[in-house]
Amino acid sequence: MKPMLSTDLNVADTTVEKAKIEVKNLNFYYGQSKALKDINLSLPERSVTAFIGPSGCGKSTLLRVLNRIYELYPKQSAEGEVLLDGKNILDRSQDLNLLRTKIGMVFQKPTPFPMSIYENIAFGVRLYEKISKAEMDSRVESALKRAALWNEVKDKLNASGQSLSGGQQQRLCIARTVAVKPEVILLDEPASALDPLSTAKIEELIDELQADYTIVIVTHNMQQAARVSRQTAFMYLGELVEFDRTEKIFTSPREKRTQDYITGRFG
Amino acid sequence: MSTALSLHQSRKRKNGVMMALCVVAAGIGLAWLALILGALIYKGLSGVSLAVFTQMTPPPGDAGGLLNAIYGSIVMTIIGIVVGTPIGVLAGTYMAEYGRFSRLTTIVRFINDILLSAPSIIVGLFVYELLVRPMGHFSAIAGAVALSILVIPVVVRTTEDMLNLVPNALREAGTAIGAPRWVVIRSVAYRAAMSGIVTGILLAIARISGETAPLLFTALNNQFWSSNLNAPMASLPVTIFQFALSPYEEWQQLAWTGALIITLTVLGLSIIARSLTGRREDR
Repeated sequence: MKPMLSTDLNVADTTVEKAKIEVKNLNFYYGQSKALKDINLSLPERSVTAFIGPSGCGKSTLLRVLNRIYELYPKQSAEGEVLLDGKNILDRSQDLNLLRTKIGMVFQKPTPFPMSIYENIAFGVRLYEKISKAEMDSRVESALKRAALWNEVKDKLNASGQSLSGGQQQRLCIARTVAVKPEVILLDEPASALDPLSTAKIEELIDELQADYTIVIVTHNMQQAARVSRQTAFMYLGELVEFDRTEKIFTSPREKRTQDYITGRFG
Repeated sequence: MSTALSLHQSRKRKNGVMMALCVVAAGIGLAWLALILGALIYKGLSGVSLAVFTQMTPPPGDAGGLLNAIYGSIVMTIIGIVVGTPIGVLAGTYMAEYGRFSRLTTIVRFINDILLSAPSIIVGLFVYELLVRPMGHFSAIAGAVALSILVIPVVVRTTEDMLNLVPNALREAGTAIGAPRWVVIRSVAYRAAMSGIVTGILLAIARISGETAPLLFTALNNQFWSSNLNAPMASLPVTIFQFALSPYEEWQQLAWTGALIITLTVLGLSIIARSLTGRREDR
């Protein structure tokens, strides 16, 4: 597991690490209603950041801004800046498809494509790379190994992705995301539809993946945030209330609202 | 205690009465269907022979078959489907995917629903004015166009409905992996909705293969073999219509046989369509 960090360090020290994503003065609107209010935070490279908060606090919305998936729907708009390696991805000139190959996403409900296990992974790879059958085979294998699914499916790669169990499907989705070699992985409550055993597997996986990827996880489950993340952002009513080391947030938060939430007084 | 018991008794009685009414209603509906099928088989089956499929429609008082009518029906149905299906699928795709939130979709859906329930004879008259009058004669082409106009609303409706059943999460997942919109539609949405869309096309075939009214004004009929698309062409429904009204016994027998052939074809298509949707729901 990750090394325990001493709790007396403050935010300034965390930001010394290279920031992969910086969110600056971000506002988000669903039509007229403002869902995110002046969000500022920076996500360090190759580590896990958790967004927690009660339902409707804007944590999923914030996640959906990071790969601009919200643009699938009309009347949703973001203003401000989201810098990926210093470049503003909210810029009009940003190629959305390329952005999404760099920033992968796994959803709450497992979403295997209606095709075979093999094709589920090859599909994304094939979009941007022309590689031989042999290379694709090894790519599929390494992605499945990465997602700790290889041993369970290696004999039925041609079976439908939808024939797997929920936990396996979710790991297939992680494998599919990893296969296109992203830099950032966004996880939107990836374990909330899974049983405790599958959840443990996913969390273990997240812990391993942070060696290579910048990971952002939205979760309802505070214990999960405490277990898997290095930084935690607590959000409430569209505002970022507090963002700090996970240990700090869960042991000595600065804000009373954070304290109330993590001790179960509301939410 | 006794009131509670009598309340229970009266509810039980009411339940029994309602259930009996429902069973009777369902029975009446099924009985008619069984009667029609029974009559068709009883009267039509005796006329089924090799000649039906190898000989032309005969002159009155002679023996013959339905080959030219069967051929005409198949040709016009195929052209109708080939022309109508792409338009229907593409329109349905626009409505469920690209134009999901647009006003145009609401308008198109409304018009399409009207078209879906429009009497087919109106479509026949429309094509008569559109093609038959300017061309100066009836033709198989005009018949096929009329049928394709009937295909479009059926296919639009089922395509849109089936694509709308594809969970948005799946589209988001495709998008999140970096796939452009059209790849998500082609490789994810179509794949997920495939059996439903095919079912819609099969139902459209079933619908047009029994249509008579739109062909009366367009393809007319033909007593003889003709594979010329620019000339009048025979079809099963119109031949049945004509032969059934005639006083000649041979013609009447052929009408029964033709009706049986169409019914069995439509029944077969419906069963295939059902099994396809059934499989989708199993998953």
